[in-house]
Amino acid sequence: MSIPNETLKAMIRDYNGLELSDEELELVRPELESYFAELKKMEGLDLSDIFSGRLMNLSD
Amino acid sequence: MSNVDLLRMTISEMAPKIKNREVSPVELTEAALSEADRLQPTLNSFIQILHEHAMDQAREAEAAISQGKYLGPLHGIPIGLKDNLATAGITTTVGSKVLANHVPEEDAEVVTRCRDAGAIIIGKENLEEFAAGATSNNPHYGAVHNPWGLDHVPGGSSGGGGANVAAGVTFMSLGTDLGGSVRLPGTFCGVVGLKQSYGRVSQRGLMVTSFNGDHIGPMTRSVADSALVLQILAGNDPLDPSTVPVPVPDYSTYLGQSLKGLKMGVPSNHYFEMLDAEVESAVRGSIATLAELGAELQEVSLPMMEYIGAMRISAMADGVVTHEPFLKAKREDYSSDTFYRTVAGQFVLGKDYSKSLRVQRLIQEDYARVMQQVDFLVTPTAPVAAPRIDAKHVVINGKEHRVRGPGSGIISRFTSPFNHVGLPAITVPCGVSHLGLPIGVQFITASFEEGMLFRVSDSYEKVSPSQGLRPATAVGI
Repeated sequence: MSIPNETLKAMIRDYNGLELSDEELELVRPELESYFAELKKMEGLDLSDIFSGRLMNLSD
Repeated sequence: MSNVDLLRMTISEMAPKIKNREVSPVELTEAALSEADRLQPTLNSFIQILHEHAMDQAREAEAAISQGKYLGPLHGIPIGLKDNLATAGITTTVGSKVLANHVPEEDAEVVTRCRDAGAIIIGKENLEEFAAGATSNNPHYGAVHNPWGLDHVPGGSSGGGGANVAAGVTFMSLGTDLGGSVRLPGTFCGVVGLKQSYGRVSQRGLMVTSFNGDHIGPMTRSVADSALVLQILAGNDPLDPSTVPVPVPDYSTYLGQSLKGLKMGVPSNHYFEMLDAEVESAVRGSIATLAELGAELQEVSLPMMEYIGAMRISAMADGVVTHEPFLKAKREDYSSDTFYRTVAGQFVLGKDYSKSLRVQRLIQEDYARVMQQVDFLVTPTAPVAAPRIDAKHVVINGKEHRVRGPGSGIISRFTSPFNHVGLPAITVPCGVSHLGLPIGVQFITASFEEGMLFRVSDSYEKVSPSQGLRPATAVGI
């Protein structure tokens, strides 16, 4: 999966993000590629029926 | 005994001498500051050495002890603090240019506990910029150098502390660990590094922390010292909702216990893939040693570890929010590695963040199941020994992996899972590479079972091939 720079720039514009030039977007791409690779791996997982493991902080 | 001999001791060895007034906290602190000054140009382990502050504390400690008001084993002991732990009235930079002049108004809770225990804070230690990496090659304050090989990184992000403990400058340094940042300096610098259970120690005052998985932990020269420090730091903090009111046991009672009959889990997946052959050999040697000590080996499977990379997704989003106040106003003060790695988080979609946290839950369940079967797990701490400072990549099984910046993460491959699942983990030296660089073995137990963790690691440490080894650059050398 690859997202074109135009889409990334639109996300920045429409969601009040931090502006990045085309050259800077290329520097960010390794992180995005990791993100997309992990999303692809998760495609086979059913995550619909999972609840939080957060601890309830009970008083002593 | 010479000052150098004193500085080379562990806290456990030094504490009785201070208590019995054989050693003066003032003289010990003077010696530590003198060595800190001497080694600073070589190791670059401090951002700030606190000469006056430390001597004031030392004189106070000496006066109190002479009046019979001994506070415990940290009283009069010179320690270091990573420079992302808030210290009231003392500049705390987080290794950044952005916060170069930031002076907190309050101490972090762990700093308060160390002060209350009478520790002498001799300096704020150098770290990776914003604690965001595994090398401690700080672009603003300079790289920290590994005492075992000055051209090599000490690990990160708490590299200054790892270097100081290894070199004998501090008896203990407090670091922070979001993905391995106490344990990686521990393994690369040949010292003990502890990440305790999530919720065991207050995070209040840990600056620019991430939202999910940060810990504050000690680097020490022995497991016994690690236990002693955790005894002081552990416990519920009513002002930190991430802490849990689980009673703190007497950790010292777990030291020296036999491992006979304990079940030792060795993962069959993830942890022995993608690692250097020398590291694997050293860690498998540790496993054999543990078996000789009486632990029973059991292979365990962690199938959900296939998805551990998904945790990077939530970390990306958390990171950009943590940095949001600074990214817009002071982007030019960031190094490019930290900036571009962080700003990538603005593209993470909410539903993908949710998926990442749900995967976290599945991975937690995997470990919960395994920890029902065994008493502890054994893994390598890092896939390699310390890389060179000038290395952009490490090569593992013929493949290049980035060391820092966007797309990096290989060095924390074996440490970061325990931040995500919250289990306590400790690294103990288990040998050296052909270059003489330390290798560490990592032990893990169930949540809030640090007693078991110390029992296992203390037993192993006593027979480790690293016993008696010292770095080439150290106090007195």
